[in-house]
Amino acid sequence: MCVLVAFALPVCADESNERVLVADPYLELHTGPGRGYPIFDISERGERVEILGRHTDWFKVRTARRREGWVSRAQMEATLTGAGEKKTFRDVLFDDYLARRLEFGFSFGTFKRDPLLSAHTGYRVHDNFVVELTVAQSAGDFSTTSLLYGALVSQPFPDSRWSPFFALGAGRFTNTPKSTLVSAIETKGDIANAAIGLRYYVTRQFFLRFEAKRHVALVNYDSTNHYTELSAGAAFFF
Amino acid sequence: MPKPTILPFLVAALSAIAPATARPAESVPEPVIPAQVDRREVHIPKISANDIEIGAYTGVLSVQDFGAKSSSGLRLGYHATEDFFVEGTYARSKVSDQSFRRLGIAIFKTEEVDLAYYYLSIGCNLFPGEVFLGKNWAMTSAVYLVGGVGNVKFNGENHTAYNFGLGIRALPVDWFSMRFEIRDHMFASDILGKNELKHNFEMTLGLAGYF
Repeated sequence: MCVLVAFALPVCADESNERVLVADPYLELHTGPGRGYPIFDISERGERVEILGRHTDWFKVRTARRREGWVSRAQMEATLTGAGEKKTFRDVLFDDYLARRLEFGFSFGTFKRDPLLSAHTGYRVHDNFVVELTVAQSAGDFSTTSLLYGALVSQPFPDSRWSPFFALGAGRFTNTPKSTLVSAIETKGDIANAAIGLRYYVTRQFFLRFEAKRHVALVNYDSTNHYTELSAGAAFFF
Repeated sequence: MPKPTILPFLVAALSAIAPATARPAESVPEPVIPAQVDRREVHIPKISANDIEIGAYTGVLSVQDFGAKSSSGLRLGYHATEDFFVEGTYARSKVSDQSFRRLGIAIFKTEEVDLAYYYLSIGCNLFPGEVFLGKNWAMTSAVYLVGGVGNVKFNGENHTAYNFGLGIRALPVDWFSMRFEIRDHMFASDILGKNELKHNFEMTLGLAGYF
C-alpha cells in the first residue's frame, strides 16, 4: 500500500500542470529563460513534457526523464495539446493574448515646453475602445503641474501593427509655483483634452505609443488656457 | 362483420413493415467521411506566468554638493520580453547641508531635509549568464542597462530627473532575484545660485520576488 501511495503521489501532484506532446523533431532545453543561456538537454518527438510555468516568452518544462529546462515560445508553438487534439499550443497562446484587456504604460514628452511625465492604465471595453486613466506631472522651471484625467480612446484598426487612435478626456489639474517665487498661489481647475496618436506593436503584449494632445484648462469662468502636449512612451498588456 | 376482413390486411401490413424496418441497416452505404458532429473541446490551460517583479532595495545616494546618505526604495517591474523590462521605482533619502553650515551658510531651512524620487524606466538585459557557486549550484544572471524619467523632490522642490544605470541580477530560484546596481540621477537645479545639471550617483543592493 505504501509503495502504491508513493508511486501515486507524484502523479497526482503533476495532474494540475499542462502536458503537451512534442511534434517538432526535438525541443531544446535551455538553462535559463533567454536565447543566450546554453542548451543542456533535449526532448524528442513523441515525448510528453509538462509545463511548469512561464517567464516572458519562455516556458519552463519537465521532460519524461525528469529534467527541467526552459523552452522558447517558437518551439512550444509547434507542440500539441493534451488528448492528441490537433489544436497546437500556438492557438492556446493566441487565445491567452486575446484575453488580456488591462494595459499599463508611461510616456514622456513636453507640456507647454516643460518636460511631462505621465503614466496611464487602460481597460479594453470593446475591440475598438479603451477607457484610460492618466496621471501626469510636469516639473517646470517656475512651477509644477499635476494632471489627473480619464479618457475614452477609439482605435479604428486595433489589429494593425501601426494602429492610429483618437482620444477625448476630462479631469483636474493643479499648478504649484516654486516656493522660492514671490506670491506663489496654487491654482486648481478642470481640464479637458483631445488627442490623436499612433501605437506600434513591438510584440503582442508590448507596444510604443506616440501622441499629440491639446489640453484646455478652465482657469476660471472667464478664461481658459490652451496647452499642447507631445509625447512618446511604452505600454504593455497584462 | 368488419373484423375478419381487416385482420388479414393487418397481418399482411405488419409482415411487410417488419422486414422493411430491418432492411435499411444492410442497404444504406457507410459514409465515406464520418461526420464529426461533436463540438471540439477547447481547453485553455492555465500556465502561471511570473513576469511581475516586486522588490525593495537599499544603498547609498550621493547628492551633488551635499554628501552621501543612505537610501531605500521599492521597485515594481514587468518583464515584457526576454530583452526588455519596464519598472517603476520610488525611494527616499535625506540631504544635509552640514558642510555649508560649517562655513556659516545655511542652504536649507533645517540641517537635514527629506529627498524622495520616483522613476519610470526601461531596462534592457544585455549579457545573460550564469553564476556558479561551488560544484553543484548555478544561478542564472544578467547584466542590464536601465534608464528612465522621473521626479526628484527635495527641499520642497520638484525636479524632472533622468536616470541611467547598470546592474547585475542573479536568480537563485525562479521566483527570487538579487541585484546590485549603480545609477546616475541627473537633474537641473539652481539651489546654489546657478542653474546647472547635477549628477547624483546611487549604489544599491536589492531583493525581489517574481509573481
